[in-house]
Amino acid sequence: MNRIGTVAVWAVVTLCVITLITLPINMQTQLIASITIVALMAIIKILKGEGIWRLIALALGTAIVLRYVYWRSTSTLPPVSQLENFIPGFLLYLAEMYSVGMLALSLFVVSMPLSPRTGRTGELKFFPKVDVFVPSYNEDEALLANTLAAAKAMDYPADKLQVWLLDDGSTEQKRNSHKVLEAQAALARHDTLRQLCEDLGVRYLTRARNEHAKAGNLNNGLAHSDGELVAVFDADHAPARDFLRETVGYFDDDPKLFLVQTPHFFLNPDPLERNLQTFEKMPSENEMFYGVIQRGLDKWNAAFFCGSAAVLSRRALKETDGFSGVSITEDCETAIALHSLGWNSVYVDKPLIAGLQPATFASFIGQRSRWAQGMIQILRFRFPLFKRGLSIPQRLCYMSSTLFWFFPFPRTMFLIAPLFYLFFDLQIFTASGGEFLGYTLAYMLVNMMMQNYLYGTFRWPWISELYEYVQSVHLLPAVVSVMLNPRKPTFKVTAKDETVLVSRLSEISRPFFVIFGVLLVALLVSIYRFYAEPFKADVTLVVGGWNLLNLIIAGCALGVVSERGEKSASRRVRVSRRCDFVTDGRSFPATIENVSANGARVQVYGIDRQNVGFDMDAVIRFVPYGGDEPEELPVLVRNVEGHGDLTAIGCRFTPCVARHHSLVADLIFANSNQWSDFQLARRGNPGILFGTLWFLRVALYQTSRGLVYLLRSAKPGAGVVKAGAANSGVASEATR
Amino acid sequence: MKVILAAALIASCALSAPLYAQQPFDMSGERSQDATGNPPQPGPPPVEGQPSAVQPPAPVESPQASPAAPPAIPGSPPPQPANAAAGQRMFVIPSDRLSLAGEFANREWTVYLTPEQAEAASKLNFGYRNSIYVAPEASTLSVFINDTLIGEGPIQSPGGVSDRSFEIPYGLMRPGTNKIGFRATQRHRTDCTVQSTYELWSDVVPERTYLEFDAAKMTAQPTLDDIRAIGVNALGQTRFNIVVPKLEQSATTTPLLRLSQALGMLAAMPNQMFEVSTSLPAKAGAGELTVVVGTAAELEGILPRLPDGARSGGIAAFIESPVTGAQILVLTGPNWQSVESVVENILAPVDRPENVTRAVLATQRWTGMNTPLLTGSARLPFSALGLKSAEFSGRRFRTGFYVGIPSDFYGDAYGEARILLDAAYSRDVLPGSHIDVYVNGSIASTVPITRAGGDVLRHLPIRFTMRHFRPGANLIEIEAVLQTRADQVCSPGTTAGGESRFALFDTSEFRVGDFARIAQLPNLAAVAGTGFPYGRGGETVDLIVERIDNQTLSATATLLSQLAVMAGRPIRTVPKASAVATGGGNAIFVGPISQIPPVALAQTHLSEETAKIWGTSAQGAPADANADMLDEWRQKTSSSSWQKPFVAVSDWLDRTFDISLGSLRFRPGDEAMFVPPDTANVVMAQGIGPSGGGAWLVLTAPTPEKLQSGAAALARNANWELLSGSLTLFGIGENPMESRPVTRVTFLPTQPFSFWNYRLIAANWLSTNILSYAVLLACLSVLLGLVTFSLLGRFGKGR
Repeated sequence: MNRIGTVAVWAVVTLCVITLITLPINMQTQLIASITIVALMAIIKILKGEGIWRLIALALGTAIVLRYVYWRSTSTLPPVSQLENFIPGFLLYLAEMYSVGMLALSLFVVSMPLSPRTGRTGELKFFPKVDVFVPSYNEDEALLANTLAAAKAMDYPADKLQVWLLDDGSTEQKRNSHKVLEAQAALARHDTLRQLCEDLGVRYLTRARNEHAKAGNLNNGLAHSDGELVAVFDADHAPARDFLRETVGYFDDDPKLFLVQTPHFFLNPDPLERNLQTFEKMPSENEMFYGVIQRGLDKWNAAFFCGSAAVLSRRALKETDGFSGVSITEDCETAIALHSLGWNSVYVDKPLIAGLQPATFASFIGQRSRWAQGMIQILRFRFPLFKRGLSIPQRLCYMSSTLFWFFPFPRTMFLIAPLFYLFFDLQIFTASGGEFLGYTLAYMLVNMMMQNYLYGTFRWPWISELYEYVQSVHLLPAVVSVMLNPRKPTFKVTAKDETVLVSRLSEISRPFFVIFGVLLVALLVSIYRFYAEPFKADVTLVVGGWNLLNLIIAGCALGVVSERGEKSASRRVRVSRRCDFVTDGRSFPATIENVSANGARVQVYGIDRQNVGFDMDAVIRFVPYGGDEPEELPVLVRNVEGHGDLTAIGCRFTPCVARHHSLVADLIFANSNQWSDFQLARRGNPGILFGTLWFLRVALYQTSRGLVYLLRSAKPGAGVVKAGAANSGVASEATR
Repeated sequence: MKVILAAALIASCALSAPLYAQQPFDMSGERSQDATGNPPQPGPPPVEGQPSAVQPPAPVESPQASPAAPPAIPGSPPPQPANAAAGQRMFVIPSDRLSLAGEFANREWTVYLTPEQAEAASKLNFGYRNSIYVAPEASTLSVFINDTLIGEGPIQSPGGVSDRSFEIPYGLMRPGTNKIGFRATQRHRTDCTVQSTYELWSDVVPERTYLEFDAAKMTAQPTLDDIRAIGVNALGQTRFNIVVPKLEQSATTTPLLRLSQALGMLAAMPNQMFEVSTSLPAKAGAGELTVVVGTAAELEGILPRLPDGARSGGIAAFIESPVTGAQILVLTGPNWQSVESVVENILAPVDRPENVTRAVLATQRWTGMNTPLLTGSARLPFSALGLKSAEFSGRRFRTGFYVGIPSDFYGDAYGEARILLDAAYSRDVLPGSHIDVYVNGSIASTVPITRAGGDVLRHLPIRFTMRHFRPGANLIEIEAVLQTRADQVCSPGTTAGGESRFALFDTSEFRVGDFARIAQLPNLAAVAGTGFPYGRGGETVDLIVERIDNQTLSATATLLSQLAVMAGRPIRTVPKASAVATGGGNAIFVGPISQIPPVALAQTHLSEETAKIWGTSAQGAPADANADMLDEWRQKTSSSSWQKPFVAVSDWLDRTFDISLGSLRFRPGDEAMFVPPDTANVVMAQGIGPSGGGAWLVLTAPTPEKLQSGAAALARNANWELLSGSLTLFGIGENPMESRPVTRVTFLPTQPFSFWNYRLIAANWLSTNILSYAVLLACLSVLLGLVTFSLLGRFGKGR
């Protein structure tokens, strides 16, 4: 069967399904159909059907969703003659239709994602010249040293690899600033970074003016270099040794390839993961994007550039005069431009870099605001649906990626919709209890099952809702503002090097407590009305239940904005690597257990604990991945513990020459398999039922934690901590 | 979020449940304890006349009107019902009972008057009695003629029937159709509860309710126009006596049946019956017309004097009966051809050409106005349906209207109609009050009033299921149940009510979208509603009456005339000698059970045994006693307190979804052969002809006598409306009608092919066969999944 035939058959079947779905059948029939289909989906899911079964399950779910849409559109809107009901009712309807539309788009994108590509490290024969760009704005020297050292250590012919530090923090504009403090800082930064680059064998580049933010900086790099390929790493994204070997080969396969993108893997938890303590056991938020969505986009040749951890073709970039900078998400914008010119992209689903993400809730929100505003700018200026040159699947993919960021609207609507009834007695959803059971409940169930089917191992139940909710509160104004003034937002660098040392409430946590309070009052109102107005108890029950769900999510969010203090400043990575621990000229066999940017923990065999003292100088000797000879890394002993023959020694790195940075980078970043292993360890689908129970438990605990933090911050004695927290917030704002 | 609550499809409500089955109290008990000692009158009131809204109280302008007409003293001798006084008195109530129940009740119907009668009408007399609970000082009975109040007075006759008489202003009655309306506003003496309103009723007694004519003006010779003015007898019945001296000639059958249809259609009364005989009836009564048919030669034997010219040509004329002295109609001529042409002349004005569709159903003689027939999407304001804006100060307001549905209506399972309600309630009305919609007496929707403080509802949509709709006229009622603080306290004097609490505006609309249209066979409801399929233009109907005798012919005439009235055109019957002679078309079989051909019994699923044992008392009693007992015990045992929530949930599911195991099957089972019980007097059954086409209708009874009386009973409007399913029997007891549902339906397309119609047909079919929908949806979804898999495999990367 040829393609046209397949499309024709598909169209006919779709038409039949739609005809069947838009029949005005009665409620009993709907109920039986819902039960049947939910049962079928559950069976397929329990049997873990994949491949063709996955599509059958999704098609079954789609049928119920479309039934819901049909019914919702034809039977549930309040009459126009009652404007007070109709307007909020219609807004809620729009919000729901947006959700359904997004579900449809994501179904299109991820119903059959490309399976991960096989590694191609061994077969690389073609070595084009690669320029590695590490753009920096305000990151400190140690962080840059690690990244640059890791980039430099990539397994690639040295004469074909040129690493560039593109420093936007010490441009001429900054060095000649009218503010003396800023000018002096820029001058100092300029000198230290130059020296660092020299030591590491990296080219240092800065420019006259900070024009066009990151895109301008990268374009400046392009202007000063000539490699065939360009790899881009954010200042905190250190590549593994095999990064280029895994990516460069694709450019040989396809001359029209402009991009090979790899996932962003983070060493540290985001605020939600940290405050909910899920980093070790639950897949990260971005794994859904990099684990499924990018693979789905890749199927339609629409995997897009994510700003870092990617290799691009200079030839392609020349066609667009470098990176585009109309929006504040230059990465995606560049990808659209090149896709529309007929260039292709590839996504490699293997974490090859490790980086940091915002640690505090405030900078997390700042980062998301930039993404949301940028994507909406793209929607506004480069409307992908009508962008010439893009294929139809690419248009849909880009619409899916950009429209996603309107989620604050529906999320807000779902949050306030029950309140219309509970507080103002408005009736914005016309349905009977039976219809609610047969349509809405079935729809919600099927929706959850479909989400679980699509993203189950990457996203646990209710976590999407939680992420959307915690972002919506502050993203809604940001999205509204960019819609009103699409050219206003400017590029703000996200602070990723913050740490929270003392437990405190986030400086932007107040709205969450207010919302929680309002929803709690609504819960009390619904209980009161349930008993006081028995004639509409069933409506109250349904609406009250909806509100309770919102309350649970809002309660869980209280935990998210209650920042947990952390003892260690940087994240430790578990490794297992033989080395020798050398102290006082004696060498002991040892294993490096874990390592961070600042230090390591080693298990040393046969050392006399009496002889190891606090702040004692020592050396770790090991063979780096990039060499054959053992090399030495100086450390300072911080603590000692253990029994028997094994002694665990915690030590801090004391790098004095550039080579030491390379050794640290080698310890932490060189082996990309450790990222994959870590991710795989977290991936597991708890299922809807257990996932929901788990979430309920977490929500309950986090609600109480949030309230305890609130009480603590209200006590007069806690004022100091609060002030400190506020200061650090201001500081982090200032660093952008 | 509004949940228009549970469009509760109450499981127990059979399609044809009588109106009053919904009421929580059965009034018959109370009535029997009445001081009057009058026997209880069970059963629904046959006249469910236009319970129309109140108009602003009309000022009593007429000086003749006597609003405070002295009520008859209970026990005083009632005026003699007219016997020979047909010229001076005319009974008007077209049913055997006219009940005005609840706090507000309105009944309307029309009577036909000749110009002479219109001129001579001088008084309307009526007798009534009422429930002991009706508070006379707060309750009023008003009488309207042509929407003009002719008199009103307090309702104060709990002890027995009282008579009242209102003068009719001269000129108010018009020649032709005149509307009569009775309206009762009733309040309880002591109670303010909603339940108490069910204790309120007034009965207007048909045998004491009549128009009185000025005898001096009633002198003119009757004309053919008088057929329409035939009226009713004291029981609300209309009777045609057809006298054919030479009945045994087979050539007489067709013109005679044509004639009976013509007469029936001209009169179009709700309870018509025909009696065919060979001799003149011995006595004449009200609501009766005797028609003598035959050639001049044949009639000479019974009529001393024939109309002039009878021997030269066909003629129809009134003469005085030699037996009773009453006026009788004579159709005669030199030969049968001329008699037939006279019959056709009478028939001509009521015949309807094939291509003319009806816009209304002729129901005005018992509903007050002809019922608009909806053949698809329609929106009708209440004002066009005969409802008037009304204000109401009591607790339970109920009013309604009729809409007509075609016989090929196929939307009972999925269809939804809407009322866009314009109404208002005052700030006294408490949340918890509700507005209900009833269709043919079954509840179809409930809208709770949830907002305190009063509200004006503008086009509030009330969706309700069309499940209880049936072909023909459908009664749709709106009931507002209003609770107030004052009623909860119920201090003395408040029962009467003061300020208006509720208002219904006639700008409200009834709306229905296009519904699926395909005829189902068998379907006695369609036969009853519009005479379908026998009244379709352009098709003849085979008529098999094996033995022609008076009783069988009477029954046939009654049935055909009733079908013709419903169909709005005469049925074109072709007499056939035997079932074998019938082709693939429609056929009607009438006769005692022994005369019905076995093939007709088989096709209508009547057991062959029936012919031998029905009516011979060889049958045992129906064995339902066990089931009843089981039910009773279930009710006794199933209410331990901890089970209550579960019972409530399961009840709610039952009520809301009404899914029985029976509805979860793919193919209907075979229809079992049926033997009517001995209690059944007459059976009407429909089936498909053996060739697969054609609808066969069988009307049969154990004996010819039962056949005749049974046909007349079935043709009574109250019973006729209850015809449904594939078989309906009329027996004895409180609910004499019993129907068997159709198990296997054959569809008969009635409309030109259109995708939208078939889509709706599919919707209804799938809503009836609900498992089929689930399976179909699942299969198509699986198919979609497979096709999508193959599609995605061919596009994008990774091929």
